[in-house]
Amino acid sequence: MIKRSDCVIKTICLALFLVCNFMNGQEDKTMYGNTTEELFPYHKFQKAYKYHFIEPVQFYGAGRDKQAPKDLTEVRIGFLGPLEGSPIVSLGKQMLNGSILAIEQANENGGYNNLPFKLMVHNDVGLWGAAANEVVEMDEEKVWAWLGSIDDIVSHVALRATLKMEIMMVNTGDPDPTFTETNIPWVIRVIGDDRQSGYALASYIFDVMNHERVAVIRSNERYGRVGIMEYSGFAVRKGHPMMIEERFNLDETDFTMQLENIKRVSPDAILIWGNAKESALILKQIRSMGMTQPVYASDRSVSEEFLEIAGDAAEGLVSTCPYNPEADNPKLKKFQKAYADRFGIKPDVFAAHAFDGMNLIIEAIKKEGLNRVLIRDVLSDLETFQGYEGVTGKIIFDGSWNDIGKIWMAKVKQGKFEYSPVPVLKATSDGKAME
Amino acid sequence: MNIQTKHFKIIVPMAILVIASLGFVRPEERSPVLNDSSDINTTNNSKEAEKPMPIYGNWKNYDSKNGLPGDKAYCVKIDGERILVGTHEGLAVLENGKWKTYTTDDGLAHNGVLAIDVDQATGDVWLGTMGGLSRWSTGKFENFNQMNSGMPNDLIYAVTCDEKFVWVATGGGAGSYNTYTRKWEIFTEENAPMHEPWTYGVCASKDKIFIAAWGGGVIEYTKKTKKFRDYVDPDGNMEIDLFPDDGVVHDITTGTSWANDILWVATYFGLSRYDGVHWKGYFDHDSGLASNFINFIKAKDDYAFICTDQGLSCTDGNNWVTYTTNEKTNKGKTIILNGTNKKELGESTSLAHNFILGVDIVGNDIWVATAEGVSHGQLKH
Repeated sequence: MIKRSDCVIKTICLALFLVCNFMNGQEDKTMYGNTTEELFPYHKFQKAYKYHFIEPVQFYGAGRDKQAPKDLTEVRIGFLGPLEGSPIVSLGKQMLNGSILAIEQANENGGYNNLPFKLMVHNDVGLWGAAANEVVEMDEEKVWAWLGSIDDIVSHVALRATLKMEIMMVNTGDPDPTFTETNIPWVIRVIGDDRQSGYALASYIFDVMNHERVAVIRSNERYGRVGIMEYSGFAVRKGHPMMIEERFNLDETDFTMQLENIKRVSPDAILIWGNAKESALILKQIRSMGMTQPVYASDRSVSEEFLEIAGDAAEGLVSTCPYNPEADNPKLKKFQKAYADRFGIKPDVFAAHAFDGMNLIIEAIKKEGLNRVLIRDVLSDLETFQGYEGVTGKIIFDGSWNDIGKIWMAKVKQGKFEYSPVPVLKATSDGKAME
Repeated sequence: MNIQTKHFKIIVPMAILVIASLGFVRPEERSPVLNDSSDINTTNNSKEAEKPMPIYGNWKNYDSKNGLPGDKAYCVKIDGERILVGTHEGLAVLENGKWKTYTTDDGLAHNGVLAIDVDQATGDVWLGTMGGLSRWSTGKFENFNQMNSGMPNDLIYAVTCDEKFVWVATGGGAGSYNTYTRKWEIFTEENAPMHEPWTYGVCASKDKIFIAAWGGGVIEYTKKTKKFRDYVDPDGNMEIDLFPDDGVVHDITTGTSWANDILWVATYFGLSRYDGVHWKGYFDHDSGLASNFINFIKAKDDYAFICTDQGLSCTDGNNWVTYTTNEKTNKGKTIILNGTNKKELGESTSLAHNFILGVDIVGNDIWVATAEGVSHGQLKH
């Protein structure tokens, strides 16, 4: 009798506990950054006191009635990118090319009220704080908006400066999730970030491939440190924290020590997070050391440079890509042909996204005229350009103006990247994502 | 009898669990109920100010039409009998009822003046500009930049004079200039507990310096020991504040200000107050704060003056006064929140604009820098 009543009480308490947990659970509207409820920090334990990035921050400042000068001979748009003195110059040059192509095509179509657009090009150098000075220069040059950059350090520093100058920034290359988590209403990002990439990779690794023991080797700088965070959070919440996290420095060529450490823990799979060159070298060394595990990599590996350096070792590598360059999209095909004709090379991911980002700026100027605040307003209103069909596909912004549109899995097959949809992040009753 | 006992055994834990659960985290229940009423009488107000909050009014505004070189005022400083205003087009100075503008033509490092402080010992004016640091002394400008000194970056967001040191906050690190030895010491992720050297605010207390580090919360520097420590949001996530009073409300900090042993911290996500032991967080949904987006903060005596994108708020930690303007009618509104009682006062005059960028208070005078000019108010009561 006593046992039975205890059993009843325990059952009811358990039911109540579950109900209470439900009451304290996540609200429905917290789908920031394509984050599912099960992936939201502390979701299983505690409802947060305050959720950010649910509603976009508005700009309440002045300047919407400011008239444009009447003596203009050109319409200036800024560009900030790694063009010299940086390990990612090749990416910066592609970004610049994409921007130039968009400007040239706009000028062929009459510019803005027959005034030509002019790109004011700035090198971001990559040193601390230098980007702030470049934004000040853009303010002095009287640009109406600007596009850049790739390096997350540069982009962060420039973002705070652009807030002070009140010049709209369109970012098409920085994948740092924290970049748009600053609540500054003077930026939109037109490229999927490392949150999307990390979720896709983790979902593929754990839910599709069913790996459990994954080792990570990442670059020992901000791109590697911040880039891996979302993957890492996902892995922990899935119950598969990293077996080991090794680091390497830029321009390092011998990774024996790190890979020996990884070999020792016998992982199911290895994830590399870094630039194309080092990622390719690491992959080659993994294979030369006799390690046969599946290898995954961050999206900077999706490049010709990576395939060239990695050679046969690249076969089977899986990564993500913020767009599908093989998509059957007439706009994309037209862009790829125009780009190859103009620059003699194939456009990469940074060229394609810069082309889209620059076209957004151009269209915003054509729509609202020469007023920095109105250009900001229309680019960030989450209506005018929401669902914009660019050469990279449909652009979807969340409440922090972060592009949460589709990204793609990229797998090397017969020396080429092949693209496929990413697994859909959908919680099931057992807490796992579904494909 | 047995049945009643059984029910009792079930009901008690149920009740405990339900009560515990409801009291655990319900943001709406944490928030004070703001009675939007013009009724001046207060009831059951345990946190009402022991001394009434200061109320300012009789606003008089200056912009490009009546004295300033441009409409946008980034910062303002009361320097004895004169008022210094940093604008996008130069330094504007009000003295003996007349405005005068100083620009690069006069030797200023850059026309965009973002921060001002005055060395009380020497009277030197230190100006943080978009193109370096200027010392304005005996009518002349001496300029410091990355090329001619060890300054961390040319775009200066904040300046603070502290004894013989001048501290600057920049995107390339915080800098401390020793005016005696004329040498800079730079603090970045290399020698201070910051992930990155992005600093956007700096203030001084008697024995400490507090740096607002973008993404790094607050960096505290003890002058005597030259040691650092940091204060960050313990939940470690950018997208949430897990618990309201567990630390600084967000790691993206934009300003710090210290007075009367209290440190106030501005972010674009809300406000924090630290008394050396406890942190307290304030958001626009649970306090009288005009907006969570805070451009600048200034602590004065028992009060913090908070410059937000939707008005100027003032608080002692419990009670609030917020000044806003109807930009179409130019009528002002003063919203007073004493404990849980709210009232609104109409004003015939108002701040120049609701987008507030700077403030300074001396005696009965308050000066406010806004997106469309600078406003001068006086203590009403």
